[in-house]
Amino acid sequence: MKSIISRVVSTLLLLLASSLAVFAAIRFSGGDVTAARMPASASAEDRELFRRQIGLDKPILEQYVTYMGNFVTGDLGNSLTSNAKISTLAGEKIRNSLILGGSSILIVFIVGVPLGMIAALKRNTWIDTGVTSFSVAGMAIPNFWLALLTIYLFASTLHWLPSGGQGGFKSLILPALVLSAEGIALTVRMTRSAMLENIGQDFVRTLRAAGLSERRIYFKHVLRNSLLPIISLAGLRVGQVVGYALVVETIFGWPGVGQILVNGVLRRDYPIIQFFSLLLVIAVTLGNLFASIGYTLANPRLRK
Amino acid sequence: MNLLHRARRNKQLVSGSVLATIIVVLGVFGPFLLGDYSHQDLLLGHLPPKTSGYLLGSDALGRDIAARAVVGIRISLFVAISVTAIAVIIGTAIGLTAGYVRGAIDNLITLIVDFIWGFPLILVAVLAAASIGSGLLPVILAVGLVNTVAIARVVRGEVLGLTEKEFIVAAKAGGYSTVRILLKHLLPNVMPVVLVLSSYYVAVAIIAEASLSFVGLGAQPPLPSLGQMVSDGRSFLIMNHWESTVPGVVIFIMVLSVSLIGDGLRDLLDPRLRTAVERASSK
Repeated sequence: MKSIISRVVSTLLLLLASSLAVFAAIRFSGGDVTAARMPASASAEDRELFRRQIGLDKPILEQYVTYMGNFVTGDLGNSLTSNAKISTLAGEKIRNSLILGGSSILIVFIVGVPLGMIAALKRNTWIDTGVTSFSVAGMAIPNFWLALLTIYLFASTLHWLPSGGQGGFKSLILPALVLSAEGIALTVRMTRSAMLENIGQDFVRTLRAAGLSERRIYFKHVLRNSLLPIISLAGLRVGQVVGYALVVETIFGWPGVGQILVNGVLRRDYPIIQFFSLLLVIAVTLGNLFASIGYTLANPRLRK
Repeated sequence: MNLLHRARRNKQLVSGSVLATIIVVLGVFGPFLLGDYSHQDLLLGHLPPKTSGYLLGSDALGRDIAARAVVGIRISLFVAISVTAIAVIIGTAIGLTAGYVRGAIDNLITLIVDFIWGFPLILVAVLAAASIGSGLLPVILAVGLVNTVAIARVVRGEVLGLTEKEFIVAAKAGGYSTVRILLKHLLPNVMPVVLVLSSYYVAVAIIAEASLSFVGLGAQPPLPSLGQMVSDGRSFLIMNHWESTVPGVVIFIMVLSVSLIGDGLRDLLDPRLRTAVERASSK
């Protein structure tokens, strides 16, 4: 319990430090901040005036405190390119990203764990070879390339599914599958090797000697002992999904946090960059914190 | 000798090494052989392979896809391998020191390392691009930072286990200096796991560089990057898919070869590393 409290405190301190670092780095990113709003011909004085208007001339700590104060009260400023209120945009973007990321994590475990179990139970047969090669390929294929292939096949050629955008369940299928590919491959490998490791253990021999059926040994005892590394993987998946979603959302035009952040960086729309960067830093940090606490609680050897 | 013999019989290691050698040769010598990658000829756009002297066809602007791909390979190799190599050296040094010295320094290092490690490489690269602008530099910084902490984390864990072992206790009792214990006794024992992991991190770095360039935040035109080539070709998938297919397949082969080498090394050096490595490489 003590270790959990100290971890929470130190993580929050690091979160504070890193949010300040991200904030400062974006504010110091040079005169280009004005490029999103002003024509190339704008004079240096005009640019300076604009910087002063949006408060960029104040000391960085003061800017940070002001920003965080506004952040907490929900006043997030406006986009420099579309002038839309970020607080209005944020809700929809976050909801879309949660839908995509959540379905991806579900798909990863619903598909990955059973496939890994099958590969372990049928080890050294053609089924195992097939599943293992599939997972090696799944980890090697970059997801933007996989995205193009699926769009080409299912959208352009077969016309079964839309190639992008957010238009209900059908438009979710392709991005969610592409976002899950690498995770499925990894989960298959993890499940397979965790199962194999446990199948070789003494307790399995004891259970066999006690006369339990093979099915019961595998699905109850071996699986239960193999779940711990898989659970810890689930925690890490959250961070991974956030990373890959930046790319996948952009390709499929899925209107989520990843897409708006990447477009913001491309257009140097710094209020957008500022808010959504901080949002992702906080989300990933808290995700990791919960994962490590969950892991400690799930593992009796670490519980003190 | 025994190790070499086993290495030759390891199918994954052999096939991975063959593919990697081809890729490295293409990346190093290809740009000299295939000529100008930026030469445009709008009349000769969208050509399929083996036409008008274009080995792998031409892109929308009539540029030679093969010539651009080999330069793309070179950039990708530079970012992934040389940056990861530096990260491995620094990360190993940090991990060795933290794990052996312990105390307050170790606590601080572990805290920071664990925190950074929690962030996916692509997100760190996008944040870096958000701060210093698009280009190869944010990708290089992100690969360097994330891979350094990833290696440091694993090395520290290994060292914690090793310092309890008799041979280290004996070396300490024998009055050897800390530096000697670190370099002569601990380093050789953490090398296998570092070697295996760094091949996975090279794979992740290749994907990150390609992904960033694909969305437009990595290598900037006219510099050809594989990810950016795939992106350029996506509007012409139906007309002439080669512009995307060639770089896409190249990235796939690059990542595949490095992962095969990683799997092969893992089985060769220590099969017991299996789960430990997979847990750590879930980046």
